[in-house]
Amino acid sequence: MGNVLLGDDALGPYVVHLLETQFTFEERVQLEDLGTPALDLTHRIAGQHAVILIDCISTQEYPAGTVLEYDKDDLLSALPPQRLDPHSPAVSECLLAAEMLGNIPENVLLIGAIGECFEPGEPLSEAVRGAVDKVIGAVLGELWRLGVRVERKPSSAKADTWWAEELCTTIS
Amino acid sequence: MAKRITIDPITRIEGHLRIDVEVDNNAVSNAWASCTMWRGIEKILRGRDPRDAWLFTQRFCGVCTTVHAMASVRSVEDALKLEVPLNAQYIRNLILIAHALHDHIVHFYQLSALDWVDVLQIPKADPAAASRLAESLSPWTRNSKNELKAAQDRVKAVAASGQLGIFANGYWGHPAMKLSPEINLLAFTHYVQALEYQRKALQVVGILGSKTPHIQNLTVGGVANAIDLDSQSALGMDKLEMIRTLLAEVVQFVQQVYFVDVCAVAAMYPDWFKIGSGVKNYLAVPDLPLDSRATEFDLPGGYIRNADLSGVKGFKTAADPVFRQSVTEDVVHAYYQGEKPLHPWNGETEPAFTGWEAEQKYSWVKAPRFNGEPMQVGPLAQVLIGYSQGHPLTKKYTDMAIEKVAAIGGVHATPAALHSTLGRHAARAIRACMLAELAQKHWQLLVDNISKGDYSVYNAPVLPSHEVQGVGTHEAPRGTLSHWVVIKDEKIKNYQAVVPSTWNASPRDHAGAHGPYEASLLHTPLARPEEPLEVLRTVHSFDPCMACACHAFDPAGRKIATAKIL
Repeated sequence: MGNVLLGDDALGPYVVHLLETQFTFEERVQLEDLGTPALDLTHRIAGQHAVILIDCISTQEYPAGTVLEYDKDDLLSALPPQRLDPHSPAVSECLLAAEMLGNIPENVLLIGAIGECFEPGEPLSEAVRGAVDKVIGAVLGELWRLGVRVERKPSSAKADTWWAEELCTTIS
Repeated sequence: MAKRITIDPITRIEGHLRIDVEVDNNAVSNAWASCTMWRGIEKILRGRDPRDAWLFTQRFCGVCTTVHAMASVRSVEDALKLEVPLNAQYIRNLILIAHALHDHIVHFYQLSALDWVDVLQIPKADPAAASRLAESLSPWTRNSKNELKAAQDRVKAVAASGQLGIFANGYWGHPAMKLSPEINLLAFTHYVQALEYQRKALQVVGILGSKTPHIQNLTVGGVANAIDLDSQSALGMDKLEMIRTLLAEVVQFVQQVYFVDVCAVAAMYPDWFKIGSGVKNYLAVPDLPLDSRATEFDLPGGYIRNADLSGVKGFKTAADPVFRQSVTEDVVHAYYQGEKPLHPWNGETEPAFTGWEAEQKYSWVKAPRFNGEPMQVGPLAQVLIGYSQGHPLTKKYTDMAIEKVAAIGGVHATPAALHSTLGRHAARAIRACMLAELAQKHWQLLVDNISKGDYSVYNAPVLPSHEVQGVGTHEAPRGTLSHWVVIKDEKIKNYQAVVPSTWNASPRDHAGAHGPYEASLLHTPLARPEEPLEVLRTVHSFDPCMACACHAFDPAGRKIATAKIL
């Protein structure tokens, strides 16, 4: 998840594009660049067995680039604040809606890195770029824990990061 | 002594709508609407190929992706004087309709119904009585006692867990809540059902657009859908049939549930036909073109000044000469450099942030003006403009709404009562019914045209070397959207998007005139100023949307200690 036009907010879509070009997943795995889906996230997660959300994180608690994970209990324990418009990121709200409907995924994990710059047209900051490999490692780790087979492609294509040609394209 | 109240969900993420009101004697005496986030995305487009602009513009916003893509290709087509084949018009229209139906359903049930519906009342309802009431209002087949009881049990389960979960942020038990337990239960049951139907509407967008969010099938000059009736991978009978089935279900939900619920809520809150009017200048652009040159439309446009419905002026084309000439943006109270109001083709977006100052600059939203005046945009504008021009489809559903409200609550509303908070909800439901009918019409138009053997979807654009200007409009779910492009040497020289919520959330202008949100809040009575539910009702009735979605996850207030650091 994230807006590719707003600096570090592009982390989620960028990681998804990298995963797509460098790895082969089992058919039951879906990779999606959801942009900033707000409440439509409910449709994407409800009824799935497991969901890994990749997002940029906004907090001053730790330095930019720190990789954090939030599990289902962390996300559900957050009370959704009063919303004025449909854009407010709604991860907790969508999970609560899925829970009320009785089809919340068994496994939910949000993996992200703390962002530094959310300005229009800016590339990923050095700090977040430096965290990309860790985020990908955490995603692969969670997939392994879930028993999903992942294979590295013999030759990796260039990731289609059309919004920023200068983005790096390799995973070490 | 006036007391200032700020409603600011800034704890969620930097950059959203903030409302400040001054309250005197339990009524709003002054109001400010501001967006707390920098909107300078247009600058990214300068120097790029105009044929690619739509891919970027549909990332402006996470909810309204499609509308920014559409307005963008239309702006370039306008600049190049490029016609769009019939099939492409119909396919685009179907996408726009499906997107709008999704959006209107989400708005009512997920974003505003709980301003009127008191969840705490639901456990007290009698499902059998609620079912009898529902069946007297609508032929909808999913109003059975058992279905209602199942929904009631969901609320009871959440309540029994000791946490309100999804309902934790409402003003439950507020004295301004008036619905009976049975109507509360009905509305909540439909809130749950709405999740299914908004998803079906999105599936239509996904089938035609290849994916959603972020459709992939647009191109300047048409669409990229290959049409082949016998193919499963192209747009053929299989997919068209799937679309027809999905649309039929959404249409039924809109006409038998959403429309009826809005009429029922309106009938039970008649005072709200007198609250929340504000700016009574209205603006809408015609949309859903019926020919390749876009000279005829299924949705009417035009403008109304100062509530004078009989003086309505119509727009003949989507980029009517009057519209082209009359739009300016004022930045006296917005965080941008500049003194004079500028036409969007000459628009500048140079930031000048000062912090929130009531008498000076206080918002990142510019103040768009039409002939120098603030305008209200959105379904209400479109319905009033259509109704005043005698547009048959608008008249049909507006009259039906007025009759329904009278039948349920004995409230005899007139079109003039639509200048209100409830009027905006009613107009959105009226528009949704119109769109539902048009969805089926445009599906048939597409199928008939393909059946004639016309498979054309695209006219190739030719970029001139001299400077050209274009405006692309779309009557989006929240109102008039316009993208303004200047092209020189085959590159974008300037680009400005004047989005619906910029019109409605506009700050004051150099003359001190309030924007529509601000004006609509004046004189609103507040039962409990410390819980300003009434302010939310009016602001929500506009379906606010600050077109600058950023999605960084903000863990404020969460148990960060349990997060795992890698």
